[in-house]
Amino acid sequence: MLTAENLRKSYAGVEALRGVSFEVRPGEVVGLVGENGAGKSTLMRLLAGTQRPSGGRILRDGQPVSLASPRDANAMGIAMVFQEQSLILNLSVAENLFLGQDGEFVRHGLIDRRALRRAALHQLAKVGLDIDPDRRAGELSFAQRQMVELAKALALEDRVDRDLVILLDEPTSVLEQAEIDLLFSRVRDLQSRASFVFVSHRLDEVLAISDRVYVMRDGAVVAEAPASAVTPADLHQMMVGRGVRTEYYLESRQEPPRSDVALAVRGLGQQGAFRDVSFDLHRGEVLGLAGVIGSGREALIRVLFGFERPDAGGMEVEGQAYAPRSPADAVARGLGFVPSERRTEGLVMTLSLGANITLARIREAMTPWGLSRSKEQALARDWISRLGIRTPSADTPCRNLSGGNQQKVVLAKWRTAGSRVLILDHPTRGVDVGAKEEVFRLIRDLCDEGVAILLVADTLEETIGLSHRVLVMRDGAISAELPAPAGGKPEQVRIVEHMV
Amino acid sequence: MITLAAPGPRLRAALPMLVLAGLMAALGLAVPGFASPATLLLVLADTATLFVLAAGLSFVIVIGSIDLGVTATASLAGVVTALLLPGWGGWAFPVALAAGLLAGTVTGLVHVGLRVPSFIASLAAGGVVGGLTLWLSDAQAVTIGQTDRPWLDWVAGETAGLPHIIVVAAGALLLGWGLQRLTPLGRFGLAIGASEPATVASGVRVARYKVLAFALSGLFAALAGIMLAARLTSGSPTGASELLLPSIAAVIVGGTAITGGTGGVARTAVGALTVSVARLGMTFLGVDAFAQQILFGVVLIAAVAITTDRASVVVTK
Repeated sequence: MLTAENLRKSYAGVEALRGVSFEVRPGEVVGLVGENGAGKSTLMRLLAGTQRPSGGRILRDGQPVSLASPRDANAMGIAMVFQEQSLILNLSVAENLFLGQDGEFVRHGLIDRRALRRAALHQLAKVGLDIDPDRRAGELSFAQRQMVELAKALALEDRVDRDLVILLDEPTSVLEQAEIDLLFSRVRDLQSRASFVFVSHRLDEVLAISDRVYVMRDGAVVAEAPASAVTPADLHQMMVGRGVRTEYYLESRQEPPRSDVALAVRGLGQQGAFRDVSFDLHRGEVLGLAGVIGSGREALIRVLFGFERPDAGGMEVEGQAYAPRSPADAVARGLGFVPSERRTEGLVMTLSLGANITLARIREAMTPWGLSRSKEQALARDWISRLGIRTPSADTPCRNLSGGNQQKVVLAKWRTAGSRVLILDHPTRGVDVGAKEEVFRLIRDLCDEGVAILLVADTLEETIGLSHRVLVMRDGAISAELPAPAGGKPEQVRIVEHMV
Repeated sequence: MITLAAPGPRLRAALPMLVLAGLMAALGLAVPGFASPATLLLVLADTATLFVLAAGLSFVIVIGSIDLGVTATASLAGVVTALLLPGWGGWAFPVALAAGLLAGTVTGLVHVGLRVPSFIASLAAGGVVGGLTLWLSDAQAVTIGQTDRPWLDWVAGETAGLPHIIVVAAGALLLGWGLQRLTPLGRFGLAIGASEPATVASGVRVARYKVLAFALSGLFAALAGIMLAARLTSGSPTGASELLLPSIAAVIVGGTAITGGTGGVARTAVGALTVSVARLGMTFLGVDAFAQQILFGVVLIAAVAITTDRASVVVTK
């Protein structure tokens, strides 16, 4: 039995978990659902020992335990199969399986390869994977690697004298249907030897595999139910926690876009990522891009901003040909990019708010005598008051700000740069609920000023709520285009049916 | 595991100054006459070459890279100066500086263009430059003849008791400080060192500024090489090689993190003084030269440990 009591976790002042209690009974498959940012991954990380809670406790069979590292968690019989896979691709399958346990195979100071191979075959048999353990992990398919990870987790049972808990974080997100079926049948077979926690976005899958389901929202568990007693629609309702709240997305402020095209994309393609993508983005318009991971939308926005080059098709910005060779070219043409990885790509965290705001157009802080700190600070103070950034001063390093305020600094940077086309990649990720609404307000402000916005949002609801139009991508191509005018927003299911 | 108490950011910023002040005070008490203006001028003159070399290096360390070729570049500039002075007169200096600029630029282009880690790119470039220098000089120190020595007066001379070399170093400090404080280069350098992905995503032409940092490092190294040659009245093909460890130490002891993103030339001035005062002090106290090397290594490691915000460094390679 694995129990979490009142677990809390905050990152830089943002509460990701606010008192979560959670239980996994022996031999049980527990489903965990919630929107992005609801706290599922954080909970998994605390249980797997990769991060430590800020409060609350974790109990194993009734005894409080401290999980300071994945090694500690393993010793307690808890193993995680990571969403971003953790196999080392240039090592063999066998070496991966026993990484960290190599000591058991050492004879006279050398690794006994035969024993290692034998042990690996034994572990692979448990998950029904028929591959040569001497193959490099990098040669395997994604699904095979996932099975190896599962075998690695299961190998714990030979070393730990208690029932295992295996955490599966989004295991199906990149699998084909046949592979998913295989994974599920393995989980069923293994249920007698381990309990599983299954995190997924696909609600029907969660219900199919789980015995019991927890629903999380805004860092808390809001519901718990036997899987047989709920439908996907029920789960969705509980995850979102509200009916249609149009005003949450300030729909009343949604004005029709202007007629002039800011960004035109024609037949754009990149080998292996997306193909034949065409659309017009107008001034004052929010164009939402919907699609699952692997649909090509992430690759598309990276090409639009010049990180990568397309192999086919072309683009125009404000009627002029546009072929960026770098983000610098994109910025020079009036584009801006709010990345999903705010802490690594959005801001230079150790530099001041003022320095970040002028980073994309430093000439705003230049005088004939050089870079002026006072001019920069004045500019920063102006944005602090206009966007309502809560900060001790314009000189504060960005890492000391909360997620929502950091995001406002990113937006201030692009407004300082005079960007006329903004690409927003998950703009509300890691942002508090209250601050989310402020980000929505800023998006509406940008539209009023005629900025064209391409939006990749955290949730479908957000995409629909904010956008004028939604482009749906599936397998690298645009599968549908749905208008989403104020008062005439499409249903989520209508978009989902074009996504999968 | 040993965990050094990590000083807070404010203390970390003030620490280099405090260390220098403490060292000076200790030496002032221990060695009679140390505190005299004449000795202090001597210390400054002695530090000048090291400082100029380290000042250039700080541009590169701020962006989170390293230039191990600076001493080879300095030696090249010294040899070029000594070789050209007889025939070309004062033109020897701009040619030597241009050679340094070129060496730095090429190192930067190799690092950025071919995506070779700066550590290897600069080590290799240093090897090439060092070989070239040995070839140019026939592997021998090139003596600057009596007739050409007046050309060296701007470095080696003195006016009213003030050694010119101090003025040259002060000029380099002013130039470096101005570049870092008043131009986009300085700001972008800090941003690149602190977070290159964010700087790229902000539309900064990062490759260009990185090459520029290496070019400046080469230019400053060449100036240091000229200064060294002027003081020794000869250009030695390996004359500056002893200065590599001290110059890195000067940058780091001054408070610039080896991981980049903080610090700069002004801090390096403090660091260079600290290094040379420490060395002088050890000599006064009779610590032998080999023991000094050992101590330098230890001090460098301690300085790196203190200046690096290790909480933010996930993986060290």
